[in-house]
Amino acid sequence: MGVREEGKQATRQRVLAAARDLFEEIGFEDATIRMIAQRAGVSVGSVFTTFAGKTEILSHVMSDRLEGMYAELDRVAPHLRGHAVDRLRSIMAVHYSIEMRRQRLFVAYIGASFSWSADQTVIPLGQNVRFKGMLADILLEGMARGEVRDGIDTDMFVEVLLAAYIWNYRLISREGADVTRLIDLMDRQIGVLFDGVAAR
Amino acid sequence: MSSAALLTASGMKKTMKHSPIRAIAAAPQPMTRRALAKQLTRAKLLEAAREMFATRGYEAATVRDIAAAAGLSTGAVFASFADKADLFNEVIVAEYEFMHASMVAATDEGAPARETLLHLLTLAYESYLTQIRLVQAALSFCWVRDLLSEPRHMAAVELVRGHLAQVLQRGIDSGELSPTLDIRLTSEMLWETYLSNYRRVIFEGWGQEALRAHMANQLDVLISERKAAA
Repeated sequence: MGVREEGKQATRQRVLAAARDLFEEIGFEDATIRMIAQRAGVSVGSVFTTFAGKTEILSHVMSDRLEGMYAELDRVAPHLRGHAVDRLRSIMAVHYSIEMRRQRLFVAYIGASFSWSADQTVIPLGQNVRFKGMLADILLEGMARGEVRDGIDTDMFVEVLLAAYIWNYRLISREGADVTRLIDLMDRQIGVLFDGVAAR
Repeated sequence: MSSAALLTASGMKKTMKHSPIRAIAAAPQPMTRRALAKQLTRAKLLEAAREMFATRGYEAATVRDIAAAAGLSTGAVFASFADKADLFNEVIVAEYEFMHASMVAATDEGAPARETLLHLLTLAYESYLTQIRLVQAALSFCWVRDLLSEPRHMAAVELVRGHLAQVLQRGIDSGELSPTLDIRLTSEMLWETYLSNYRRVIFEGWGQEALRAHMANQLDVLISERKAAA
C-alpha cells in the first residue's frame, strides 16, 4: 500500500469512528460533517473526498460493525443448546444486546435505510444473508431433530421474524423500552411464529 | 356525503388516492364560522402538504412551497402547525385514519379472515404504490419522531392495527383460526410485515402482484397453520 493510500485509509477509519460516536451521542440528525471532521481531526474537505455525505458515512459505519458482530455471534452459536425455539430466542437476544449498545445509531440506521440511494457496497437492512442463514440453519436443525415440521418455508419464517425484530426498535421512542423489554417481546413473537411451525 | 359511503372494496384505490384529508375534514359537526374557517385552512394545508411530500419527499418539500400551493401565507401554516414535522405528522395521521375507514368499508364480515386480511393489505399496497415517496418519507420519519407527536401517530396506527385484530377475532369466532392465537401480537406482526414489504417496492421495484403473492405466503407463516383443530 502506498503512503497516499495508507493515509486515505487512516482518514477513512478516523472519520468512521468519529461519526459512529457522534451519531450515538448527539444523534444522526444533529451531527454535521463539520463536527465529524473536527472530532476525527481531519479537514471537512478530506471527509468529502472519501464520502459523498452523511448518509453514506452512516452506511459505512454500519457495514463496518458487521465484522465484530459476526465474531460475537460465531462465538455464541456453538454454545446454543436446547429446542430450536430457544436457540432462536437466544440468538435474537444476543443480537439485541449487541445493537442496543449503540441504540441511537442503530435506530438512525433503520430510519435512513428506507431511503438509501442504490449504493452497492451497503447491505440493506433485513437483507443480511449471513445472519438470515444462521436463523434458517436453526430451523433446519430443528427439522432434523423433529422439533420443526418438515417442509416449512424457512425463508418466509425468517423474513417475518426479522420484520418484527426491526420494528420492535420503535418501542424505544414510544415507551423508552430497554434491551430487556425488546428481548422479552421478541421471545413472545418467536413463540407466536413457532406455534405455526412446531412439529406435532 | 360521508367518505365511508363512497367506499366499496373495489373503490378503495380510487377514494384513497382521491382526497383523504378533505374527506376527514368534512366531519359534520356544528361549529362557529371562525372554527369552520380555521378547519378549512387546516384541511387545505394538509392537502397541499400531502401532495408536496408525495412528489418531492420530506426534505425537499418546504413550508413556503406548501403554503403557496394552498394559496395561503407561510404564517398561516404556523398558525395551524408547530413546524414542518408537525405538519407532516398530521398528514400521516390523516392517511392512517383514511386507511382505516377504507379498510372498514372494504371488509366483508362474512368472508374468511385470511382472505380478508390479504384483500385489505393488497388494497393498501395498491393505494400507496403510486405514492411511494410519501410512504418512504413516513417510514423514515417514524424513527425520528419526537415524543410530542408520538401519541397521535400511535393512536392512528392503532386504528388500523385494531381493525386487523378484529378480523383475526372473527376468524377465531368462526373456527377458522385457533382460539389460542395471540391476536394483539399477531396483528402487530402482520402490520410490521406489511410495512417491511415496502422495502421491496423501494429497492426492488415490486408491483402489486408480487406483493400480494408474498403477503399470502407471509400470512401462511403468521396464521394459516393455526387453524382450529379439525
